[in-house]
Amino acid sequence: MRRSVSIAILTVALATGVGTITVGQKNILASAQEKPATAEVKIDNFSFGPATLTVPVGTSVTWTNRDDIPHTVVSTDDPKTFKSKVLDTDEKFSFTFSKAGTYPYFCSIHPKMTGKVIVQ
Amino acid sequence: MQETGFLGTAAPRAADLTLLLEMGMGTGLLAGAWLARVGRIRFHAICQSVIVLLNLGLIVLTMFPAFHRQVLPKLPGRIGRPYYALAVTHASLGGVAELGGLYILLAVGTRLLPEKLRITRFRFWMRSLLLVWWIVLFLGLATYARWYMTWP
Repeated sequence: MRRSVSIAILTVALATGVGTITVGQKNILASAQEKPATAEVKIDNFSFGPATLTVPVGTSVTWTNRDDIPHTVVSTDDPKTFKSKVLDTDEKFSFTFSKAGTYPYFCSIHPKMTGKVIVQ
Repeated sequence: MQETGFLGTAAPRAADLTLLLEMGMGTGLLAGAWLARVGRIRFHAICQSVIVLLNLGLIVLTMFPAFHRQVLPKLPGRIGRPYYALAVTHASLGGVAELGGLYILLAVGTRLLPEKLRITRFRFWMRSLLLVWWIVLFLGLATYARWYMTWP
């Protein structure tokens, strides 16, 4: 009788443990799938780095101004796909690319500063 | 997309053109002062009037929009940084110079102002304004250099 009870308790404990592990694994997988890909572009010394960035669809690209003067990030198309406010030192701008294509952009304060995001 | 400049800096074309026009206008004001000195008062009046009005156009079309977009939103918090401090000093003193120029045009060149608002020591005021104008011009050059040129 005692042995049967022990076996039953052990079975229940094992089943609960396996269930918890399975649910945990599912959660980890789900969060990995939901988390969007990210990429960074640094603005410094009157240039975007990298000037050309290739990313998969759904990627969120963040531009960070590391220069000591303000810059902007503005797509060249019309109407503008994305357009940042004036970014001062250490300010950031992010945009998520949900469609494949090539997105050229520039700094509206310094039009010689250009870059491109290729979304595949 | 804005057009790129032609002076080899990172400035847009409008800023390069404004810089050259301002330098030309500063020189033009000196030439206008010389015209007054040699007694060509009518040509002096035309020269200085055209420059003051052209400068007003440049302020409205190119300088104020850039100031409004790039400087005003960050004030007064970042006034201590050279980028903003130069622009604010240039804009403030430049505003004084432009308003002073318009006032002299009205006070000396027209009868629109009431008698008591007209100036009598106009030579003193014109020379003072010319000095201020040139200080503003140098501040403008410094602002251009800070905004659009690479520094080590």
